[in-house]
Amino acid sequence: MRNLWLAGSLIIAAAVTGSLAALSFAAAPTLVGKDAPDFVLKARDGRNLRLSEFRGQVVLVNFWARWAGDSRQEMSALDRINTTYNRAGLVVLGISVDEDLIRAEEFAAAMKVSYPLMFDTGARIGRDYLLEKMPMTILVDRGGVVRYSNVGFKRGDERAYLDHIRELLRE
Amino acid sequence: MNPKFRVVSIMRGALLACAWAAGAALAASAATAPAPPSGPTATPDAVPAPGAPGAAAAPDDFKTLDQEVQGLKKDVIDLNKDLFVLEEELLFPANTQVALYVSMDVGAFFALDSVTVKIDNKEVKNYLYTAREADALLKGGVQQIYLGNLKVGKHELVAFFTGKGPVERNYKRGATITFDKGVGAKYLELKITDRLAKHQPEFTIKDWE
Repeated sequence: MRNLWLAGSLIIAAAVTGSLAALSFAAAPTLVGKDAPDFVLKARDGRNLRLSEFRGQVVLVNFWARWAGDSRQEMSALDRINTTYNRAGLVVLGISVDEDLIRAEEFAAAMKVSYPLMFDTGARIGRDYLLEKMPMTILVDRGGVVRYSNVGFKRGDERAYLDHIRELLRE
Repeated sequence: MNPKFRVVSIMRGALLACAWAAGAALAASAATAPAPPSGPTATPDAVPAPGAPGAAAAPDDFKTLDQEVQGLKKDVIDLNKDLFVLEEELLFPANTQVALYVSMDVGAFFALDSVTVKIDNKEVKNYLYTAREADALLKGGVQQIYLGNLKVGKHELVAFFTGKGPVERNYKRGATITFDKGVGAKYLELKITDRLAKHQPEFTIKDWE
């Protein structure tokens, strides 16, 4: 009888956890399929870059932060992608959401990536992009529509990025 | 969203829906009306005599119905236009409207990076210029940087311009104007020009009366 109770409790707990997970997954807002919100930010080299001016090119926007452990790994991967696909029409933009601008700039300088890094200290752009977890990467197609979004970064994610980039570059 | 604007939008939506419903109803009634005999299916016996009352009445009915539908459609278009104007007036009423424009003349001594506008000590706009946008201004483009509403009376506008000045030096300058906002729209132009005598840029605000 006791075992029956235990088994029943376990089944109910699993069902509740599963439904909660499904609910949180379903409720996660996404911009995929929608127009990418436009922004203009100053890059480290002093240029002001506006997303809409890259219409006609495939744009990868990476939101990063010094305190997000995966950002360093992802930025290195994105640097390699940028070096390879830049000539094919890919634009990579890195946006820091770090509130501490000085430390974010130090981090950016240390990373030595080949693509432009910008700083969204007011977190306005992060809000527009429904940023909840860091890092986050989105792919914008030639028409300015968000086609892919990835939250967090783990080894192997760059392959998924490459698959989507190649597909979008072919369009 | 402005509640008045919302009301007007709802009114417009409702009006269009009513108009289409009315149009559809009229069209449906026209479709159910008896069709006049025509073509190969009409036998000589079925054709009414030219002087018979049924022959003239049917085409007249169609004509009247068609005229009613066309008249209704015209009314809808007119009303929609009026509501659109009303909507614009509610959002940016002419008597409180203030529009700011940025223009650049020559620009040999200044490369524009950003403009910050404060009205009555409140920041209303901060605009970063990309190289393309700055280039467009240099080619004679005029940008509407701000459109808003202000009450009638005296107001102070301060504009801060940042960029690269002569010899690639960082440059930040301000320009101030106190203007009287009367009844009617107000247009102000933030002008960046070159002062050749001093080899320096000049920032002025022009009040277009």
